[in-house]
Amino acid sequence: MQKITIKKGHNINISGIASREFSNAPAQKFVSISPQDFNYVKPKLLVKEGDQVTIGDALFFDKNNPDVKWPSIASGTISNIVYGERRAVLDIVIKIDHDKEKNIESSNQVNLSSKDDVKNLIQKNNLWPFITQRPFNKVVNPSDNPKCIVVSLADSSPLANDLSFSLSEKKDYIISALSNLRKLTDGQLYVAIRGDNFSFLSDYNFINLIQVEGPHPSGNVGVILNKVNPLNQNDIVWTVQGCHLPVLGKLFSKGILDFSLNICIGGPAVEPSYFKSRIGARFDLHKDSLLKENVRIITGNVLTGKQIDIDGFLGFYHSSFSVIEESFNRPFIGWLHPGGKTKYSVFNAYLGSNKKSFDFTTLQNGSNRAFVPVDAWERVFPMDIYINALARSVEANDIDEMEQLGIYECDEEDVALCSFVCPSKSDVGAIIRKGLDTIYLDK
Amino acid sequence: MNFLRKIFEETGKLVEEGKPLSWAYPVWEAADTIFFSTNKQTTKGPHIRDNMDIKRTMFFVVIALIPCYIFGAYNIGYLNASAMEIDRGLIGNTIFGLTYVIPILIATFVAGAICELTFAIIRKHEVNEGFLVSCALIPLTMPPDVPLWQVIIGTSFGIIIGKEIFGGVGTNIFNPALTSRAFMYFAFPTKISGDKVWAIGPDGYSGATALAIPANPSQYDTASNLFAANTQFDFSMMNMFWGLIPGSIGETNKLLILLGAFFLIYCGIASWRIMVSSVLGLVFTALLLNLLNYFTIDGILQAGGSPNAMLTISPLQHILIGSFLFGTVFMATEPVTSSHTNTGRWIYGFLIGVLTVIIRSINPAYPEGVFLAILIMNMFAPLIDYYVVQANIKMRLARNV
Repeated sequence: MQKITIKKGHNINISGIASREFSNAPAQKFVSISPQDFNYVKPKLLVKEGDQVTIGDALFFDKNNPDVKWPSIASGTISNIVYGERRAVLDIVIKIDHDKEKNIESSNQVNLSSKDDVKNLIQKNNLWPFITQRPFNKVVNPSDNPKCIVVSLADSSPLANDLSFSLSEKKDYIISALSNLRKLTDGQLYVAIRGDNFSFLSDYNFINLIQVEGPHPSGNVGVILNKVNPLNQNDIVWTVQGCHLPVLGKLFSKGILDFSLNICIGGPAVEPSYFKSRIGARFDLHKDSLLKENVRIITGNVLTGKQIDIDGFLGFYHSSFSVIEESFNRPFIGWLHPGGKTKYSVFNAYLGSNKKSFDFTTLQNGSNRAFVPVDAWERVFPMDIYINALARSVEANDIDEMEQLGIYECDEEDVALCSFVCPSKSDVGAIIRKGLDTIYLDK
Repeated sequence: MNFLRKIFEETGKLVEEGKPLSWAYPVWEAADTIFFSTNKQTTKGPHIRDNMDIKRTMFFVVIALIPCYIFGAYNIGYLNASAMEIDRGLIGNTIFGLTYVIPILIATFVAGAICELTFAIIRKHEVNEGFLVSCALIPLTMPPDVPLWQVIIGTSFGIIIGKEIFGGVGTNIFNPALTSRAFMYFAFPTKISGDKVWAIGPDGYSGATALAIPANPSQYDTASNLFAANTQFDFSMMNMFWGLIPGSIGETNKLLILLGAFFLIYCGIASWRIMVSSVLGLVFTALLLNLLNYFTIDGILQAGGSPNAMLTISPLQHILIGSFLFGTVFMATEPVTSSHTNTGRWIYGFLIGVLTVIIRSINPAYPEGVFLAILIMNMFAPLIDYYVVQANIKMRLARNV
């Protein structure tokens, strides 16, 4: 077991962490899959409203890469396809037919001896979208040969779904998933864990186990890669969300498609809890647990998640909802405020500021200003990359320099904390994304 | 409070986009957010943000300067009272000094605000609070007796040439406050250098700063002996630390400057690396020059080399004399114009220390080397960063085999 310790970073102590027990919720009626959750995908729909679908059926494929199709995450009826500006498909909503789902649960024997067997099984069941790649954080191209595969079971983001709890009953599936993912690469399979969680994985020598320590973003795939096996130009690394391992594991071991997911709801404006649900779940089942009138519901974590309506759906790669209060408060001469429990800062800029469990709101806490390099980004960015220089090369649209400075190793989630602490309120994630987009579209 | 809020909401409608007064939006926004914290919302991830913003960052630097202002005012009164041989008491001295400091302060802020707001309107950028820091620094680098029209011209020059023509805060090359100081030093030398301007006394009263004494000795001696021989002011180490000596308004009391330094480092605003490395650079060079002097006096070089009293100043004296500490703590650490990488900051600070001593000791024309050293290093900071970043690029290329 390899050990890495991250020093630069910050654990945002936001209130509303769910305790480790499941609450009951009525069965999910609707699920959705949104092509917007996938970078650089041009969807071509294979279904229309009113169509009957069975779990695993292809819903759409990527025009740029027709081998990759997206599975229906439920059996039932396509109840609604939501379009946005310029006919962009925002949501493909499926009304779940629970009776139909029960009938198809028949197990068939799976025999996966080679790389091609695994690839064919994934292809047949349309599960490629569960595997993403670095750089660019996009769905993989099945014909690629990844340098290594990384799975993080140590998510460190604020209000993260605690996988050591939500995957606690899925031990066998995790091992099955990992042992077969192992076959997809000629390199290493890295699995990141924290503390003593998932210690049973140390019995399997096909896993290169990495114990991470330290504050967020220590659990991010990009950060772990930067420390153990840096991503060079032209390298491709595959990764799977930790919470999705049981989906792959159940398919690999029993041949059954099961998109159930234990989700976590947290945040200062909601009653935090864990629920047994499924991928693409709708939030409105949990609307009674909202504590405030005017809230922002976010699928994913508060740093990189996406705002949704109350009847919005869980993002494809997300396993948690976060809820914070929308605040329009304008305190008098707030920038002169001495401090106290109503302020939270990484800087020592407020007397007795709240560092334990803080009720964050949607306030930006300052106006946008020209960037002043007061060493804020650097103190929460643990990679050996000059993030400030990289951001400038993106703004200058200099592709060569972006590559030289290591843009391939970064993703939006790795720099989200930089935006959080930035006194000028810059959006560093958007800058990095812009750079990646420029390079991707240039190729 | 509601009344004030209402005024801003009403006037806010006048400067909305499309209205005739929309050009004034940056000014309105600046005033509005000074009185009431902005209620600007995050739009996408990160949905939550730290409570620190540029307003507070800049304001904290101003807070760190306030003790220097108060002591500066007292010192003006104290030196004047000693020159006039009267006793005005602590408060009397401070009030006397404030009558000199406050007009300079007002002149600076009026000139600075006009320049900043004009450019914010023309360039349609937001008013950056950085100009508050520049304007708060400029008076502290002035002699008490400086004419106000010169302050106004100097400040305008600093803000416009030092900052705005490069695109405003974040893209400027030179520290605006130091650009002002340098401009005034070369444009109005009689009012900002020499020995007549540093203390206010009766007509023709002259009070040389500590740096001028070894720079213009009547006969060669070590700096310490020259200081001791000066009967007008007490240039002992202790007194130079406490600051009851002639000098620019804010530079003399080293304790208050150090307190400001600790405050800024604790808050995470100023870089301690720059401060530490510039002191290291200064100590290193001062020791080297001490050694050189040893050779010129007692060693072989004595016949040919001309003795220079500045070479005998010890490292500690260098730190306490003049505005080295003030410049290091408040000017060199200016985040935009200093190095942007931590490795670069070490080099940048070290070279400021080195250049300060070299300019002070080797070139008798400029007894105060700090502001020139910082401006020179401002110019080289991007180059230092370039090489630091290139090293990172090379490391990445070497890894890619």
